[in-house]
Amino acid sequence: METVLQHSTPAIGRKPGNLSRLPRMLGIAVMAAVLAAPAIASAADAPRRPNIVVILGDDLGFADMGSFGSEIKTPNLDSLATAGVRFTNFYTHASCSPTRSLLLSGVDTHLNGMGNMDEWMAPNQWGVDGYEGVLNNRVVTLPQLLKDAGYHTYMVGKWHMGKAPSQIPAARGFERDFSMLDGAGSYWDMTNLSAATPQSVFTEDGRYLTRLPKDYYATKTYTDKLIGYIDANRGDGKPFFAYVSHQAPHDPFHLPQEWRSRHVGEYDKGWDAVRQERLKRQIELGIMPDGTQLAERMWFLPDPIVLAPVTRAILGKKMELYAGMVENLDFHVGRLIDHLKKIGEYENTVFIVFGDNGAEGNDLFKMITGSPGTRDFLFAAIKWSQTHPNAWGDPGSYVSYGPMWAQVSMTPFSQYKGWLGEGGIRNALIVSGPAVKRPKGSVNHGLLHVADLMPTLLEIAGASYPKTYQGRELPPLFGTSWGRVLAGQAESPRTEQDYLAWEVFGNRALLQGEWKLRWEYKSFGKGQWELFNLAADPAERKDLAAERPEKVQALAALWDSYVRTNNVILPSRSVFETLEDTLPPRVPVDPGYPPALYKRQFVPPKDMMADPKP
Amino acid sequence: MKPVAWLRLVFATVLAVGMLCPPQVLAQVPARFYWKTLSGANAVPLIVESLSGNTNPFDPAHTATPGAHFEATLALPGYARTFSLFDRAAMAAILVPMGRISGDVTVAGKTVNQSADGFGDPTLEFDINILGPKAQKNIPDVLRYEPGFSVDLLFDLMVPIGEYDSDQPLNIGQNRWYGRLGMPIVWQLGPWVPGRRTTLEFLPAVWLFGNNDNFVGQTLKTDPMFQVDAHLTRDFTETFWGALDAAWYTGGKASIDGVQGEKLNNLGLGLTLGYQMNENLNLTFGYMSTLNDNAPEDLRMNKFMVTLVYGWHPMVEGMRRLKSDK
Repeated sequence: METVLQHSTPAIGRKPGNLSRLPRMLGIAVMAAVLAAPAIASAADAPRRPNIVVILGDDLGFADMGSFGSEIKTPNLDSLATAGVRFTNFYTHASCSPTRSLLLSGVDTHLNGMGNMDEWMAPNQWGVDGYEGVLNNRVVTLPQLLKDAGYHTYMVGKWHMGKAPSQIPAARGFERDFSMLDGAGSYWDMTNLSAATPQSVFTEDGRYLTRLPKDYYATKTYTDKLIGYIDANRGDGKPFFAYVSHQAPHDPFHLPQEWRSRHVGEYDKGWDAVRQERLKRQIELGIMPDGTQLAERMWFLPDPIVLAPVTRAILGKKMELYAGMVENLDFHVGRLIDHLKKIGEYENTVFIVFGDNGAEGNDLFKMITGSPGTRDFLFAAIKWSQTHPNAWGDPGSYVSYGPMWAQVSMTPFSQYKGWLGEGGIRNALIVSGPAVKRPKGSVNHGLLHVADLMPTLLEIAGASYPKTYQGRELPPLFGTSWGRVLAGQAESPRTEQDYLAWEVFGNRALLQGEWKLRWEYKSFGKGQWELFNLAADPAERKDLAAERPEKVQALAALWDSYVRTNNVILPSRSVFETLEDTLPPRVPVDPGYPPALYKRQFVPPKDMMADPKP
Repeated sequence: MKPVAWLRLVFATVLAVGMLCPPQVLAQVPARFYWKTLSGANAVPLIVESLSGNTNPFDPAHTATPGAHFEATLALPGYARTFSLFDRAAMAAILVPMGRISGDVTVAGKTVNQSADGFGDPTLEFDINILGPKAQKNIPDVLRYEPGFSVDLLFDLMVPIGEYDSDQPLNIGQNRWYGRLGMPIVWQLGPWVPGRRTTLEFLPAVWLFGNNDNFVGQTLKTDPMFQVDAHLTRDFTETFWGALDAAWYTGGKASIDGVQGEKLNNLGLGLTLGYQMNENLNLTFGYMSTLNDNAPEDLRMNKFMVTLVYGWHPMVEGMRRLKSDK
């Protein structure tokens, strides 16, 4: 009733001429309130549908949060883990926009438009349905369905699924957005990476921005904007869905000065030592089973023990910055959590936290800037040449941390972003909030996939995935709802017979039960099927293809079925097609080999030492 | 950035950018003089100065001689080495002034033109940081070094063995012990990134003088003199920088056989440009002139100064040899 009167009063007050109608209108209002009272009471009795906040860390690794074994301090993300459940067997795609398309459509990438990344679309894929390089219009998006179901839908952060007016967040279901449409760029301004696309494109509420707000820093501004959106609509009682698609910690590692020096010297010990420490904590936390082995250090990476202190310090400083990026991300997540607590919405909010793919071990900057004399090199010379370590983090600097630290972020797995080793596609997942009935702080090992979010969140919102949308028949969902898992009624949404499959850049993989079939370009892969038993060998150290040809055959048949069902067209060109020629020949990595590198100075017994005779 | 490439940059910057410039005959040092570098670094500075004014530039007390005019051409070669002491950055240096000076000298009301040449009094200098980052004992320390707000203690001692002729008041040697206690301050303003560095630097100091018991047969005494040098420095590029310089002196009243002179109270302004020629060599060019010096008794002096500093570190030299072999 208060609400009705509050709404009515200003309308009356605006026009003095209407004062004579005041008693009549008040009477109507009171009557309406009385009539509505039972309905209001009923709504108050009914459980409110929860808000949903999906927090995506861009290139955030499996082992980068404290609750997944990291030394990086992430108390706010960890608080969600403590209040909810951690999932250790959660799969994304191997790169950014494919994962995002799966998240927002629930449909396989080869059907939803991201059959390949726009940036690497192969000639034989050009013009083919499912390979638009953007989230295509044959799919309906999660925010569209949630909005139809009565949710407010907000997005902040990186989009990377199309820039045309029909492809931007506002056109794909988000009521409010502040979005960077590109896949990467400066955290400080609109500077993008190459001469071909010198400026990042941003939208706010469906309008393309001519400039960024004052004091823009991506992670902070995204959080500020989201808090503003939540507050603006708070009074209407509708739940909200927020897609918090942080740019952090994707390179370039741009971060405020005060976040750069929180781990000085901590990583000089080198990547092998940090991986070992993380694995130890993962085992203690129950993230990985006892006896888990680390994946081999990539064969082209040195053992940090043999490096000069300065080399370790310089490379370690890159990891220091990365840790700062993650901690800054956590800080702003904490701001959001605190705000929701302050306004009384925290307890009714489902949080879902994960990284969009494996940590980034590729040298994106090198790929983009090319070699001296090229257009992009000149662009980088002007825009991205703050190379001094003390400038790292500033505008104009471009720091990434390389494959050695990417392997750390993906402890204990092999490989990283872009590849289909576990290190490319397996990520940490936290779910908390009213939908979770499992013990607080528990760990689950069920097989989950990012495409599951569409049916899961629809179920949480009390909606369902339609067969058609606005007259269009929709492609089938790839995922399965986690409803029973979150409720503690099942350990996994999948049976041992269900399978997951991936293809991007020509690399391909299929996972069924504990078996994984994988084909990758040389020298990461063998250019042929490899077979791994993930239960015994999560680090994919031992290829069992030769020992288990019947298993290879069975899984390959499933792969063929996946290809047929999901419109998979292997690319005629790949970003990795010449990789083998650029890397040293692949050799095993045996700790302590060659001994010549590890032998220490021989010190004779003191009592046998003497000066030379005259 | 590849580690080796980064190393080159570090050493090109820290060894050659004038950290080891020597003290000057005017009791001033160039901006960026007290920046710190890797322990174990060496430098050979060479300062060449051309001065003119109404005071003997070899006399740090700057006794003004009304109506006189001095011209001097000086060179100061030296050697300096950085090291770590109690985990603090330290430096020891020796400088030997040499050159020639000529000018009008008034003695007993009679003005004559005199000249002197030869070696001056060698300077022994010791500097140690007391507030700020610890000594850079290895390259990772260099990597992480930023001065922030750094304060040093400085000790200078001039040894009276330079050329001295007790028959004339104009000399290069001073025939007395004297020295300086100072507190160099480097205040980093903004990022510590070559090409973007800005500093505000101060050197408050006090000069203490022994007596010259044979100053043309008389005794020359000089009161303590207080000095504050200030520099606002700024990188223009990674290898080119400039500074606005100011120097203020007060005290230093001289007396000859009890006849009191004037207390100094002088202000000078100048500018410096620095250029790093290569990984080892740094060049600076500076000019400074006194202000409010129109009255005959006012101290008047101006100088041009060119410094060339060759710096090296054995480890860096070795790395360069290895690299050039490949």
